[in-house]
Amino acid sequence: MKLEFFVNDEAVAVETEPQRRLLDILREDLGLTGTKEGCSEGECGACTVLLDGLAVHSCLTLAAQLQGRHVTTIEGLEKNGELDILQKCFVEEIAIQCGFCTTGMIMSAKALLLQNPNPTPEEIRTALSGNICRCSGYLQIVNAVRRAADEMGGAQ
Amino acid sequence: MHLIGTDHPIQDAYDKATGRARYAGDMTLPGMAHIAMVFSTIPHGYVTAVDDSQAQAMEGVYGVFHCFNTPEYRFNRYRSQYSQELPDEEPVFARHVRFVGDRVAAVAARDMETARRAAALVKVEYQPLPAALTFEEALEGKNCLEGEEAIKLEYSQEVGAPLPEEADTVSVTAATELSRLHHAAMETHVCVADYVPGADELTLYSPNQSVHGVRTVVADMLKMPYSRVRVVKTTMGGSFGAKQEWTTEPVAAALARLLRRPVKLVYDRAAVMRSIVCRAPMRAEMTMKFRRDGTLLDIHLELLSDAGGYIANSADYVRTLFGKMFRCYRIPHGSIHVRLVSSNTPVSGSFRGWSSPEVALMLEHTMEKAAKALDMDPVQLRVKNVLLPGDSDPKSGLPIEEVRTRECLLRGADRFAWEENRRADAAFNAANSRYRRGTAVACGGHGNTYYPRYKDFAGAFMRVCEDGSVQVEVSIHDHGCGTGAAFQMIVAEALELPLDRVRLKEADTAHTPFDFGCYASRGTFLVGRATQLCAQRLREELRAAAAQKLGVSPDVLFFQGDTVRSKDDPSVVLSYKDIAWYSLSELCQEITAEEKYHTSTNPGVTGAHFAHVEVDTWTGLTRVLDYLAVHDVGQAINPAMCVAQVQGAAQMGCGAALREELEISSSGMGTSSLAKYHLMNAPDLPVIQVELIQDGCSQEGPYGAKSIGEVSYVPAAPAVAAAVNQALGSDMGRIPMSPDRILEYVAKEGC
Repeated sequence: MKLEFFVNDEAVAVETEPQRRLLDILREDLGLTGTKEGCSEGECGACTVLLDGLAVHSCLTLAAQLQGRHVTTIEGLEKNGELDILQKCFVEEIAIQCGFCTTGMIMSAKALLLQNPNPTPEEIRTALSGNICRCSGYLQIVNAVRRAADEMGGAQ
Repeated sequence: MHLIGTDHPIQDAYDKATGRARYAGDMTLPGMAHIAMVFSTIPHGYVTAVDDSQAQAMEGVYGVFHCFNTPEYRFNRYRSQYSQELPDEEPVFARHVRFVGDRVAAVAARDMETARRAAALVKVEYQPLPAALTFEEALEGKNCLEGEEAIKLEYSQEVGAPLPEEADTVSVTAATELSRLHHAAMETHVCVADYVPGADELTLYSPNQSVHGVRTVVADMLKMPYSRVRVVKTTMGGSFGAKQEWTTEPVAAALARLLRRPVKLVYDRAAVMRSIVCRAPMRAEMTMKFRRDGTLLDIHLELLSDAGGYIANSADYVRTLFGKMFRCYRIPHGSIHVRLVSSNTPVSGSFRGWSSPEVALMLEHTMEKAAKALDMDPVQLRVKNVLLPGDSDPKSGLPIEEVRTRECLLRGADRFAWEENRRADAAFNAANSRYRRGTAVACGGHGNTYYPRYKDFAGAFMRVCEDGSVQVEVSIHDHGCGTGAAFQMIVAEALELPLDRVRLKEADTAHTPFDFGCYASRGTFLVGRATQLCAQRLREELRAAAAQKLGVSPDVLFFQGDTVRSKDDPSVVLSYKDIAWYSLSELCQEITAEEKYHTSTNPGVTGAHFAHVEVDTWTGLTRVLDYLAVHDVGQAINPAMCVAQVQGAAQMGCGAALREELEISSSGMGTSSLAKYHLMNAPDLPVIQVELIQDGCSQEGPYGAKSIGEVSYVPAAPAVAAAVNQALGSDMGRIPMSPDRILEYVAKEGC
């Protein structure tokens, strides 16, 4: 099929089979390797991206579901060399260790803050429940998301 | 000190936050073949035929490789040093398959999708053999061929001498059984291999814990000169021990050479869980003898361990376990009797802590029983028996140095409100029938480096660039825990440079010095020490060159920040840049320094963890309500990263104690999905509190640092397991204490 959709606000057209995974289209066809594969079955969340503003597992999202829709990947968060506030907070709160879960974690957090700009730590933990981090106890990650919410609120 | 002891993000945090960090799986080389593996579907047998005709016929397939059409490349996955005498027990493609997941064939194709589809068309025929899937079957020798013994290793060893019999002693025996564990590093195993036929040069890119270890195994397997095999450690998405044995590397190397083109081999989660490595299942019975006052007199451990499909590191692992028994408590006499079997299950191997966490589960379980038998408070019983400064490790004989286990226990008990919590739990349990609460403690120790088991050394090389910035070559293998940042800090501290003036390369056999790899918690302690000394030496080289420029004795020069000044002339201010450029242009030499450092100590490094849990006796689910870890780390180089690692260790320990288990079905199929292997997620965990005790500095570690990455995991599962037993008034020794096991206990024993 000819798939036409939007990736990080740019129109993209690729020739692909309808059952091809969004994860493979991003990584192999478009060279967007910031999205990671950790389990291939929607259990670890490393491949999380936004589909029309909602967090989805790109390993479980197929080409046939994408026509005309908007996908945002980690590469789409940085604007004009400026990190997204979430990215900055993940760095500064020391919420990053091996980094393999980080991009998916940030995308899940992004989806949360789009829906709920002022989440409690419990709401953050729930929103990130589909993202596994094996290096940490999640505390710095929760702190980074909470601080990003504060800073975004401050900017409004 | 301007940097040591301050908090910094991991060195590549920015790239990881933006998705730019390049892991091996993100790499693409021109003409690269993608590999899909075919694994054994039976636990034991011979491959009698492989029909690859349909796969070979597919467009885009470069080749199908298996035992009938490929040279018999063999290796030992555990070997990491040239001199280790270990059998090449494992073929790249097996004919005699020993577990579900053993490698049978590989398909190389122009893209991953084609490779996967072709791999599904490879037909393998087997002649099955009897399989051993349990300890009982392994002990019976059900999997043994003619002439093979069921017991692969059996030995007894003791340390110290039995004390004379005393009248009034208390003996306790506890049985502990540990399940297989999956490491669950988020990045799966990957290797990209680039072979250049004309030059006969092979380059391997992989997230591995020892570039020189990979090189020795791959070069020997392919009969290539070591100098023509280059191994580059790539950004690692976690290891926890799973990436210190070679599985993808020998396969990718062999295929790149056979195909004469670059190849990329990426294992998915199911393949990692089935085919790579797991932590060994163990059965233990430990007996401790005490005086009535709680003084520990004697320990004996009966241990049975299962190596899985290949022996790999298991013989060394169980030998090491005995040494790890002596890193926390004063033990006048300790003995062990070990039996190692093999079975037709995934291969057992190294796991964070290399047997310290396993022996801690046995020690702490027995200690809990002893506290009850002696009617002593569990904290006080431990305080009475821990090693103290002035003591020596009874097995190695080396001084334990400034160990702070006692302080970890006492400070932890205070911060965790130990007595109040225990009283509150008792009141809660008296008032509730469904939920039960328990508070418990565990402690444990580990080491730093291989010494004195092996001589251990490390090297570092540095150069000053024309602009005065410094380039460091040192064979570190950052797992994603910030070794790189810590080493930049060590160098920047010694040279009084800002962090961004220090560039540090990770391990690469073509550029960085020989090193045994990231094993045995030797990274920061030993390689870090070599790096610190190298930076100090580089400073002396700068001083010497400055003295030549000024025509004065080096003795009159001193450093102030990143400048050289003269005691005799206040107007002299030479920057590192001035000196570097003078040296290059006038002395015709680059300012460099090289350091080789041998260790001669291995101080005690320990921690105490406190867990407060609530068990739901109707569902069997356990919630961790509060958690505190207190660690004796010497000087923390980068405290925030130390804390983060300890929290991660607590997360793994909670999982190991309550859920994590790689099960083997009656067909030999192991758990191969994270849907079935339950990891702790964000809502599962409380805020994990961490305290670092930093006044027990080591003599040799950089700035007094001791290890943290492995030791932090040692007391974690024992503390949570003990808290569950405390909640239920039980003495369960089977780990994990999964909901099923808890319900089984409650149904049988009540609570």
